[in-house]
This record gives sequence, C-alpha cells and structure tokens, in this order.
Amino acid sequence: MAPQDRLTTFLNRPSSPLLRAEGLSVAYGTHRVVTNVGFELGRGKSLALIGESGSGKSTIARAVLRLLPATGHATGRVEFDGEELLGLPGRRFRPFRGRRIGFVPQDPGNSLNPVRTIGAQAMEAASLLDEPHKALRKALVLETFAQVGLDNPQRVYDSYPHQLSGGMLQRVLIGLAVLPRPSLLVADEPTSALDVTIQKRILDLLSKLREELQISLLLITHDLAIAAERADSIVVLKDGAIQEAGSTATVFSAPSSFYARKLHGDVPALNPDRYRPLREPGFRHLDARREKTPKIEVRGVTKNFTVDGKVLTAVNDVSFDVQAGTTHALVGESGSGKTTAIRLLLGLEQPDTGKIAVGGEQVNGKSPEQLRSVWRHLQLVYQNPFTSLDPTWNVEKIVREPLDRFKIGTDQERALAVRKAFADVGLGEHLLSRKPAALSGGQRQRVAIARSLVLKPDVIVLDEPTSALDVSVQADIVEVLLSLQVKLGLTYIFVSHDLALVRQLAHTVSVMQRGRIVEHGTVGEIFDTPRQPYTRSLLESIPSGAARFARTQPLQQRQIFNEEKIA
Amino acid sequence: MSKAYFNYAGKRLLQAIVVILLSYVFTFVVVSILPGDPITNVLNNPQNGFTPDEIKEIIAAQGLDKPIPVQLWNAFSGFLTGDLGLSMRTNRPVATLIAEVLPSTLVLASAGLAVALLLAAIIAYGTQFLPQRFGQGLLRGFPSLFLSVPNFVIGLVLIHLFGFQLGVFRVIEPDSFWATLFAAIALGIPISAQIAEVLIANLDHESGQDYATVARGRGLSQMRLFVKHLLKPSSLPVITVVALTIGELLGGSLITETVFGRNGLGSLVQRSVSTQDLPVLQAVVSLAAVVFVVVNLIADLTYPLLDPRVKLLGTQQRRPTTADDSSLPISKAVTP
Repeated sequence: MAPQDRLTTFLNRPSSPLLRAEGLSVAYGTHRVVTNVGFELGRGKSLALIGESGSGKSTIARAVLRLLPATGHATGRVEFDGEELLGLPGRRFRPFRGRRIGFVPQDPGNSLNPVRTIGAQAMEAASLLDEPHKALRKALVLETFAQVGLDNPQRVYDSYPHQLSGGMLQRVLIGLAVLPRPSLLVADEPTSALDVTIQKRILDLLSKLREELQISLLLITHDLAIAAERADSIVVLKDGAIQEAGSTATVFSAPSSFYARKLHGDVPALNPDRYRPLREPGFRHLDARREKTPKIEVRGVTKNFTVDGKVLTAVNDVSFDVQAGTTHALVGESGSGKTTAIRLLLGLEQPDTGKIAVGGEQVNGKSPEQLRSVWRHLQLVYQNPFTSLDPTWNVEKIVREPLDRFKIGTDQERALAVRKAFADVGLGEHLLSRKPAALSGGQRQRVAIARSLVLKPDVIVLDEPTSALDVSVQADIVEVLLSLQVKLGLTYIFVSHDLALVRQLAHTVSVMQRGRIVEHGTVGEIFDTPRQPYTRSLLESIPSGAARFARTQPLQQRQIFNEEKIA
Repeated sequence: MSKAYFNYAGKRLLQAIVVILLSYVFTFVVVSILPGDPITNVLNNPQNGFTPDEIKEIIAAQGLDKPIPVQLWNAFSGFLTGDLGLSMRTNRPVATLIAEVLPSTLVLASAGLAVALLLAAIIAYGTQFLPQRFGQGLLRGFPSLFLSVPNFVIGLVLIHLFGFQLGVFRVIEPDSFWATLFAAIALGIPISAQIAEVLIANLDHESGQDYATVARGRGLSQMRLFVKHLLKPSSLPVITVVALTIGELLGGSLITETVFGRNGLGSLVQRSVSTQDLPVLQAVVSLAAVVFVVVNLIADLTYPLLDPRVKLLGTQQRRPTTADDSSLPISKAVTP
C-alpha cells in the first residue's frame, strides 16, 4: 500500500467497515478448507458466520486473528480499520491482538491456563492498557469482572480455573477480551459448551457489552436460532464457501439458497410443529391413557450417593408414567439428575426407595440375570455415537451382537434381522461391512439405533441422541426415530437439555431440577402454560428472537428412507 | 497447608518406611537364607586360609551363629543406628568405608543431574524456538541419539578427546574440577534424553491447548507465552521423571567412576563384589533403596504443592456446576 493510500484510509471515512474480508482462502497443507470468502462488518454491528461442522467458520475466525496452526495458510485480504492484516509481519500484527481485536473462545473449561490463577492471567490482558500503576490495573480487572456479572471479583481473581464453573469461566474470558477495550470481538461458538440457561445469560452479556462499549461482534455459531436473535447480518457457509449472505431479516424471511432453506427447516426452535403428523398417533395413545396401564411406571424413586462422607441426593422422590407409543422427555440442566434417572430405569443402579416397572415387570431389586428378560424390551441409544461403537468391529457385528447375546434365531434369521433393522433406520446394506470410523456421525447414530432395534424392544431410552450431531443430521435422526415410533409403536424416554427439540418430538415432559421433578405435563401444557419459574427460565433460554421467523406449519416431509450418500 | 495434605504426607511417609523395610529384609533373606550361603563359602574356601578357630571367631564376631530372625533384628537395628557391621575384606566398619567414598559419588551424581537438566532444557527450548530450517528437526532427534549411546562410550570418547588430545584435564587426577565436569557430562547425557523427551512432548502438547491459543489471542509474545504459560505445566511431570532417574544416576555413576578412575561408591561396590564382601554390599543396596525411596517421596510431596489441579485423596472438592453460577442478573451487575 502506498503511503498516501494509507493516509486516506487512516482518515477513515465513517462509512468504511471495521472488518472486511475479500477473497479469503485458507488451506491446511494442500487441503483447502475455506474458498474465496468475503464479508463486511460495520462499526458497532454484529455479523454471524453460521454453518455446520467442517464449514470453515472457525477457521475464518482464526484466520482473522492469525491464530491458525502452523500448517494453516491464509491468502486473500483481511482489512481491519483499513489496514491489511494477513500480510503484516508478526511483530506488527501482535499489537492488534487483544488490544484491538478481542477473542472469546469456544470451550471455557480449556481456555485458561490450569496452573495459574485467574488473576495472573487477567493481569496479562490488563498489561495491554496504557495504565502504568499495577494497583490501578488490578482495580480495572476487578471492575471488569463485576461488569461481566461475576459477583465476587476478588474471589474470582484469586481462584484457579478448575475452581469455577463453565459459565463463570466464560464470563472471565469475555471480561479479559473486553478489558483492553477492543473495537472488534471475535466470539467462536461462545456458548456451545454451556447449559441452556447459562447460554442465554452469556449471550445477553455479549449484547449488553456490545451496546455499552460500542464493540463490533463477529459471532461464529452453528445455531441458527442464536444467529437470528443476535446478529444484524448473516453469512451462511458450507464446505468453506459462502452459500448466502445478507441482513438477518432477509436471510430468514426469504432464504434464497437451497442450503439456507434446508438449514432453516432443520432448526428445532424455528419449526416447533415440523413433525406434527408423525406425533399424532402418540397423542391418540395419550388421550386413551385412562383405559390402559402405562408402559413405564416410576413411583417415588430416590437415589443417594455418598461422596466424601457427604450424602448427595441425585434423584429425589421422582414419579412419572409413560404411555405405550408415546415419547416422554426428561429435561433439565447438567447435574439435574436426568442421567441417574435413566440409569435407574435401565437397572444399572438400584434405587434406595421407590418402584420402577416396565411393561408391568418390576425393574428394581433384580439381579442382572433376572434383568436380562427386561433388557430385551428396554434398549439404550447413547449420546455420543463417536465413542459408543466399538471401533474394531464392523457394523454388521455391532448390530448383530444383541441377537448373539440373547441367542435369538438361527444364523440366517439373525442376518435377516440385522438387514431389516438397517433398512428401518434408512442405511444401505453396502455399509454392513464398514467399521464405525468409515461412517459419518449421522450414520453412526443410525447404526446405534439399528442395534437397539434388532431385539424388537418396546421401550428405547434416548440419552441426548443428537447432541453430538449437526442440526441437519439431527433432523434426519429425529425423523427416523419418529417414523419408527409410528411404524413399530415404540415408547421413548428422551433425555435432553434442548427444549426446542423436546417441543418438536415429545408428547409428555418432566422438568428436572436438582434431582426433583419440578413440573410435568403434556408438551402443550409445559410449553404454553408453564407454572414453575424454573420451567419458565428454561423456556426463555430458547432464543426468542427466532420466534419472529418460526413457522407454525409442518414442513413437507423429506424422503428419508432412501440410502444415504456415501460420505 | 491443609489437613488433607498432612494426611496424605503421613500416608506416603508410612508407605516409604514400609518399602525400605521390605527391601532391607529382602536383601538380607536373599543373602543369608538361600542355600549355598556365600559367607561360609568364603570362610571355608581353603584358598583363603582361615583356621577353624578363626572361622568360629569371625562367625561369632559377625553374629552368624545366632538364629536368623535375631541376626535380622541385630543387623536392622544396627542399620538404623548407623552401625553397618564390619567389612569382611578389610575388617573396618562398613559405615566408615562408605563415608570415605560417598562425597565423591554425591558430587558426581549431582553434577550429572545438573548437566542432564541443563541439556534437556536447552534441547526442549530449541525445539520450541528454533525455526524449522535451522535444524529444529535435528534437535528433536537428539534424545533418542543420547539414549542409544551407553555412557561408558561417551566417557571414553570424552577422556580421549579432552583428556589426551586437547589436554583440558589430566587423566591421572580424576578428582580435579575439569575431570569431574567431564565425568558429569558423560553421566548426564543419557539421563538428559529421558527428561528432554518428556519436556518436549509436554511443551508440544501444552502449546496446542486452547488456553495457549487464547493467550496468543490476548496479544502475548511467543517468549512470554513460553515462560509464563507453558513452562510450568510442562515441567511438572519432569519432577516425577527426575525422581525415577535417580536409580539410573546411581547405577550410571558406578560405571562412570570406573571409566574415569574415580574412587567412589562404584569402585567400592566393584571391589566388594569381586571379594564377596557381603556386609558392604548389603549396606550399599539398602542405602540405594533408601535414597531412591526418599527422592520419590520428596517428588510426591512437592507435586501437590506445585500443581493446584492435583486433588488429594479425601479432599475432593465438588466441581462447581451451573447451579453455582450465582452471578447476579446482568442488569443489576452493571455499574452505573
């Protein structure tokens, strides 16, 4: 850049954007992950980069901050306040970091040095201020901690990271990012590792700071609903290329690209009634409940754990019924007792008091041998398909194992049952010989569901079955689950912290807090007329800005039972 | 320090004492109970020319006519009070023999450890800061190279090069400063390899952690990041490795002493083995066990003091959950 050009950009016309990317491409070695991306972010504005995993959104954030790993190489232009960043030598770029561009990372639990106090790390950020006195710098740190809503700044200052919760750590990190008063904040999935209610508070905090301090926000997120609520404009990415860009209102009310439309349709918060036709049979079962005994009965179940001599009540006097052919959702934040509740239901733990019956058969107080007959009718699909399948087995063996264990049928019948389960979840037979590593996340979770189906169970316990998956994959899995429910009359226990998803697929809901069920009812009762403040706070955590764009009509169903494309 | 720490320290101390006790009993039992008792073998060997009266006298003096448990008790209580018995070869107290040579070995071992630590630190630092084209990869190969060369070879090369060729030290004065330094280098090189390996692996791991990226994003220079953030968590596991290499340091110093002609614990052991001087060997083995256990005890006791994450048994703090995020609603927290 010629000197006089630099001068004119320095005089910085008010209309010039704060951050401008042009023809930005990033490659790791020879593998290109971002291709020709351009966008503009105005002063005091917010821009969301949205996309699924592998879309290159985090890579773009790192390229702007020049924090790519050694193998990553960015080309193109990134202008900040009129100055090109990518070509600057490292020495000249470093003053931008922290001082002018703040960074809020994804996982607060790993983003602070575990062996140094919060205070020591905060003082590093404070050293970027033009404040020569250490005592004053410390006072500024404490003031910032208070500003981000940490109610005992001195205690936080003296703590080590492992002594604080995830929400508190994210507040600390946001505080450290805004402390040197940068004009741009890059937030890379700032809430994806946090509980829903904390997520809302953190996003509120970011919005507040943006207004108070006139900071521009580059928000990286996979959550369309969050982007809809928090961003002025949106860039939709897929496989490292821009699919669509524009103001939030335009992208949401009239998405022009196929991918944006599909994403929009897949986000639970935007489509509460998407699966209405598939849920109807369940609601009919629910209406007929007075005539039948429930499939699952849980009565006054309490479970205590003793940790370091202290008694911890994980599940406290919990009771609920589930009718055959319906979905019952257990919702609550981490530590609310959801997981313990399903472990009790599966007979993996014994309750201290209370009674649990599945299909009229008592589960509690039985030996593992006696439970085998119960387990035939009761299956679990686990949260993380990336760790729940044995990586050394092929898929056929994985799905077939329950049949071998229970010695059901001849070899030929077992092979047939496996193929039928495979067809039920919409997987092609050509995948049978693959190892889990050769499958995508969605395919793996389908394998896990197929495995739970081969025994022809009546009840399937779904422990956050989609929390490790992208939204579009999540939509596929939910559709598979609901179709199977209609087809086979399955009863589901669905554990989740994602209320928008619960609203899409459950029939009845129990809200758990600190081991107790604080409220339960049909999905309509819970979502339309919540009685408890805790339930209301959970509901408020569903990004409300999204409501403007929500559809109330079910979408046309997609053809899902065709064979998946091979990844 | 907290009560839990003292509980932990007490337990570890007790364990250490038990280990020392067992190792003592084990060596004792191996020496005296197994058939073919080497002591009587030595005495009864006609070549040694002991008369039956002398044999009786020696056996009585060594207390070998008493029942085994009594012998064990006598020997052990002696060991605790510093009376290690009499050497069979020289008839002098074992404690005196060891005291004569111990300082020389201690000097060599600690100098060797210092060399090892310094070398490991230089190599590890280089792998983090040397640009790829200035031989960073080569530097990463050093530890495996060091490990694969036995220290007596290094010692011989050093003696030849610096003793004979360059004349930096005189080989006939093994206790001079320069001779000691080169002996320490020969001893320290293989040990530095293990420490460097751990340090490099930890530095690589830590610098890839999120917190390092975030700290870089906060505007820290590479140097500050290294000193303030990476060095401590990377060095903590080194404490354990150093404690474990103490055995090697002792064993290595025996060989190095022989190569450099130093009169230390090594040459004492060598003489005692060749003459089957069992009281000396028993004492040296037990002493080595004590040193090894004590060093590891110190390592275990310092670790919790340095790493705030280490949770001691029985002190598990409940990890805070979201329920503890008692932060004020944001509107209230805003300072006007």
